[in-house]
Amino acid sequence: MLKGADIVLQCLRAEGVDLVFGYPGGAIMPLYDALEGSGVRHVLTRHEQGAVFAAEGFARVTGKVGVAIATSGPGATNLVTGIADAKMDSVPLVCITGQVRSALIGTDAFQETDVFGVTLSLTKWSRLVKTLDEIPEVIAEGFYWARSGRPGPVVIDIPTDMLKAKKEFSGPVKFTPQVRAADTKAEGGFADTIVALLQKAQRPVALVGAGAKLSGAIPELRRLLDDLNIPSFATVHGLGAVPPQSPYYLGMVGMHGTRAANMALHETDLLLVFGARLDDRVTGDPTRFAPQARIIHFEIDPAQLDRVRACDQAVIGDLADTIPAFHAELRKPPTHSTSSGQASRKTGETWGTQIPDFREWRAIACGPERAELDPRGLAQPTIRFLDELFSRLPEDSVVIADVGQHQMWAAQRYRSSSPRGFITSGGLGAMGFALPAAVGVQLAKPETCVLCVSGDGGFQMNIQELATVHRLGLPIKMVIIDNKYLGMVRQWQQLFYQRNYAETDLSDNPDFVEIAKAYRIQAERLNEAAMREFPVSTETGDLIDSFLHSPEPELLVFDCHPEANVFPMVPAGAALSEMMLEED
Amino acid sequence: MQVFHIHYRNTQGTLMRILNAASRRALDIPSVLAEPAEQHHRVTLVLEVTPKQVGQLSRDWYAISDVLEVHSGAGLHEHGGARPGWAGAHPPASESNGQSARAALA
Repeated sequence: MLKGADIVLQCLRAEGVDLVFGYPGGAIMPLYDALEGSGVRHVLTRHEQGAVFAAEGFARVTGKVGVAIATSGPGATNLVTGIADAKMDSVPLVCITGQVRSALIGTDAFQETDVFGVTLSLTKWSRLVKTLDEIPEVIAEGFYWARSGRPGPVVIDIPTDMLKAKKEFSGPVKFTPQVRAADTKAEGGFADTIVALLQKAQRPVALVGAGAKLSGAIPELRRLLDDLNIPSFATVHGLGAVPPQSPYYLGMVGMHGTRAANMALHETDLLLVFGARLDDRVTGDPTRFAPQARIIHFEIDPAQLDRVRACDQAVIGDLADTIPAFHAELRKPPTHSTSSGQASRKTGETWGTQIPDFREWRAIACGPERAELDPRGLAQPTIRFLDELFSRLPEDSVVIADVGQHQMWAAQRYRSSSPRGFITSGGLGAMGFALPAAVGVQLAKPETCVLCVSGDGGFQMNIQELATVHRLGLPIKMVIIDNKYLGMVRQWQQLFYQRNYAETDLSDNPDFVEIAKAYRIQAERLNEAAMREFPVSTETGDLIDSFLHSPEPELLVFDCHPEANVFPMVPAGAALSEMMLEED
Repeated sequence: MQVFHIHYRNTQGTLMRILNAASRRALDIPSVLAEPAEQHHRVTLVLEVTPKQVGQLSRDWYAISDVLEVHSGAGLHEHGGARPGWAGAHPPASESNGQSARAALA
């Protein structure tokens, strides 16, 4: 006879789980009581939101399912932001919540919340466990849905009496989904259609999103793009999928994307989309997005099609299958009725030189000089600081960015070819994500240099996780870009609300260095004056190197000009071609 | 008004997820009829939707794990009832714009 809690843990082990993140409380106590000796390591965070973001960090960097545990009521509701984040960014996540005992459900008992109902619209799948017998099936099915297709969040809510009760347990089970009549993958016919469209296109481009990484199809995608040799760019979650040194790569696209990428996207007549949702931050005004283009959308989840802009041809299926199928067709010898790969490559080379100022734009976006588009120069020290940090990072480091101006500067300056090397809350834009996510990343990759870049606003949203970092001795390198404002909101107030800086002033921030020291974490401050000289002084360079290579956790606070802005910027509702390159 | 018939396994929350796909778009739901249908269940919804939303809703519904089939009926007033579902194997990629890649090639 085993308790329900033991059964849950054995089922987790059967799903390959050996690390979970959580925070105990009343209804989930039986599960915590059973942890010791279960083979499941529990990492205590200092807030449930920290736990779910840490689980996300673990999942995003490994591709495995992240697991977060919380108690009922407030514990469960504190998970909600992370669940929404996982839904938006396709992160495989299973949240296990304790619930009040079955007899009390629906009575507004102490710490009772209908977490099943609260999270219904945010989850890919969820269950409130009703009987002890169903626990193995529920866990197996939950993990299946979390990792299958477009990955996403799952909630399993277990009443505390189910965790305490005992039953005979015959072992974990496997879940096999029933095939639905309409579950089909793309058939081979799509490939010759796309090749024919490519043959006719004069200005084809490729847009790469997170789906290319999630499918594990990066090698196949890179080989395809090398053959196509057409201007290519990435969403914020697609960064790292295309090596930045590729001659056809134009950087990040969208609201703060490069001028080269946005203009090529505006001018294209054939857009190949690989695993991207085409959300509003990528498209700008959807009615003026790629206005001359036919759109071919490679996507695993049909629900992501046509949300903002309709496509002309959808290729539904795992990109690990559909990209090679397309590539094989592209490489076929030419016939009288279809194009050849050779013809496509020639088209790509021609198009690059046809874009006005293409080479200059590419140099700005990706060249070694990477001229800063910041006429007032207020952001240049910060941009240079990030460049110094990134250029000194060991290979295969992981950068985790929070949300705000620093996130976009980091995305613009990130130069790694590591597909899972840049992690951020892109869809939901949840401030406070980076520090706890870095905990999950560092635990998943103990030998990897993990750099967490936050703003002064976001860092304080989960600052309590410094205690987790210290407790575990995780050598996370934490950077705060401290402009003493909610910088991105302030930028919008400056540009679109006549400088009415309503409630964005954080000039009374605490001393982050002293706070870190109170958590027993080494911390230093670097003034932006250190970045005004280029190249940086030996002293500054040594400080950054020492920071990055320390075996201990460290915090570096960088003073940023309060009115530094992120450019280029596509104002909300404008077309990508209407980028603002400066403030006036 | 557009009529939708959605066949689903009557598992926890599936009907709520189906309704949520409409409510999150701030659509009024003037009529809902959920009932057993053969081995499973069927819900019939009447919604006022744009052509683009027809495709979006259908794909959102089909993304729910226990939804089995989605059929879009004709306008309630025009034809007074439902017509069969998609001709293809799954909800079409571009239900709203009616274009196909073959047409685009022309």
